[in-house]
Amino acid sequence: MKPASPMMKQILSCGSAVIASLIIGGASLTFAQESVSVRATLVTGGLPLDDPNAAAWSSAPPASFPMSPQVHWPNRIQEVTVKDVGVRALHDGKQVVFLLEYADPTQDQDDGAALEFMVGDKKAHFAHGQPMLQVEGGPVNIWFWKNKAGKAVDMSAKGFGTLKPQSHQDVNAKGVYSNGTWKVVFSRNLSTDHPEEDVQITPGEFISIAFAVWDGRKDAAGELVEKGSQKAVSSWWYFRADAPPDYSSYMYAAIAAALALGFQFVLIRKLKKGQ
Amino acid sequence: MGALGKPIILMVGMYLFLKFVLPYIPGSAPLPSSLIFLYLLLTASGIVIYETLSGESKDAFWEPMQRFLTGEKIGGLQALRYGVLILFPLLVGWQTYGSTATSDLPPTESRTIHPAPPGEYTGLSNPVPKTPENIMQGKGFYAAFCSPCHGGNFDGKGPAARGFIPAPANFADPTTIAMLQESYLFWRIKKGGVGLPIEGAPWKSAMPRWEVELPDEWIWKIIMGEYDGAHQSPRTWE
Ligand code: HEC
Repeated sequence: MKPASPMMKQILSCGSAVIASLIIGGASLTFAQESVSVRATLVTGGLPLDDPNAAAWSSAPPASFPMSPQVHWPNRIQEVTVKDVGVRALHDGKQVVFLLEYADPTQDQDDGAALEFMVGDKKAHFAHGQPMLQVEGGPVNIWFWKNKAGKAVDMSAKGFGTLKPQSHQDVNAKGVYSNGTWKVVFSRNLSTDHPEEDVQITPGEFISIAFAVWDGRKDAAGELVEKGSQKAVSSWWYFRADAPPDYSSYMYAAIAAALALGFQFVLIRKLKKGQ
Repeated sequence: MGALGKPIILMVGMYLFLKFVLPYIPGSAPLPSSLIFLYLLLTASGIVIYETLSGESKDAFWEPMQRFLTGEKIGGLQALRYGVLILFPLLVGWQTYGSTATSDLPPTESRTIHPAPPGEYTGLSNPVPKTPENIMQGKGFYAAFCSPCHGGNFDGKGPAARGFIPAPANFADPTTIAMLQESYLFWRIKKGGVGLPIEGAPWKSAMPRWEVELPDEWIWKIIMGEYDGAHQSPRTWE
């Protein structure tokens, strides 16, 4: 048998290495990772903009995030009512809607909840985008719902004491309380005309999101326990609005498989001829 | 097929090492599959170069492979040959799909836990005398300011810790304050999470910037109380 040409050998050896690593790479795909993000599922049949109990919510994967009492800066609070928040989201390519759910034994006028987003490309500290010493930070956009107001306020902050309502209000919210649970729906257009202040949501891209909750209960002296910086907070997590389905990778896969098949065919023919 | 046995064992061994041994070596992390792929490719080319260096082993290496592919006189291996010829294009397609499909996983972010401190915070020594009273006082300050996050037992499991990511440091763990100098702690406590350089991901850290609330002397006392309470001692220049 005539030895194959050096070129052929190289091709052959690469081929076998590729086979080995494909089998191996494939095996590693089976270890699914737990999701640590909020995903807004793309829906076509209309968004439940002010209905936290709409059937459409069942198509949104739920995510749960742990909360801490805010002990990071004064004024602190050592214990808060809300220990976890559940979050779901949906979008239709134009608007996004979030559903925030949490347990709260009592419904109070001063109950409130907020979503916080990083705005733009610069990282922002999760505590109101407070200045970092070695890194130039960006602003945060806060969507603040209060039971008493029955609506959301669209706010901006870049550091403590800088939180203020924006001159243009783009966010809607509605809370529904039943059976010891608050369900609050926040909605907004994916993009707005104010990219310096408002988070811009591009389907397919991950955005940093954080949560805050105030239980508006009062103590024996009639004072609010949770107010202002005294609240339950979360760390940064990721949010993404799903991009429309993209089938191009199936096409690439089919082309690659066809090429591999052709390569085999040519190779074996060559080898057989060589004998 | 004998000559192919060794390379196959080598490849499988290499894979097992990269996938299951390397990640557990301290300071290491699980490799992304694209990197494992690259390493295996390098291993494979190494094997080929080695095998083709000497004329003798060259034929022993290539001949069975050629025979297998052309299906000549391989008897019972014929079924295996068809299997490989069908599987190979499928796997190439699968791998292509995997590398072009958009991932559902959020971006992974690595965070340097102990980045270098600014120059002025290296080599400072604790100016507070190490007396039982000062240590006691430091522990008192610790209980008041630090224990909600770092825990009354210095284990990072304070009542306020659960929502914070990265989690508050566990001072009883030998990889935190036991491997740091007092000077380094002084920097971290004074400047907090927001004082970290970019590789420390300062935007995520809940560690407060204590310089705005506590005088330096208290911070030095807290450091003393912290080491004593966690049964650790600071790293020094031997
Ligand atoms: C709001 C919660 C919180 C409080 C209160 C807090 N810390 Fe921290 N601390 C953290 C977190 C979270 C980290 C880990 C992230 C980081 O390194 O910035 C940390 C990290 C540290 C580190 C770095 C350890 C290492 O291995 O790098 C030191 C030292 C430290 N804290 C000391 C203190 C002291 C002393 C106090 C009290 C004066 C205190 N902390 C109060 C949250 C807190």
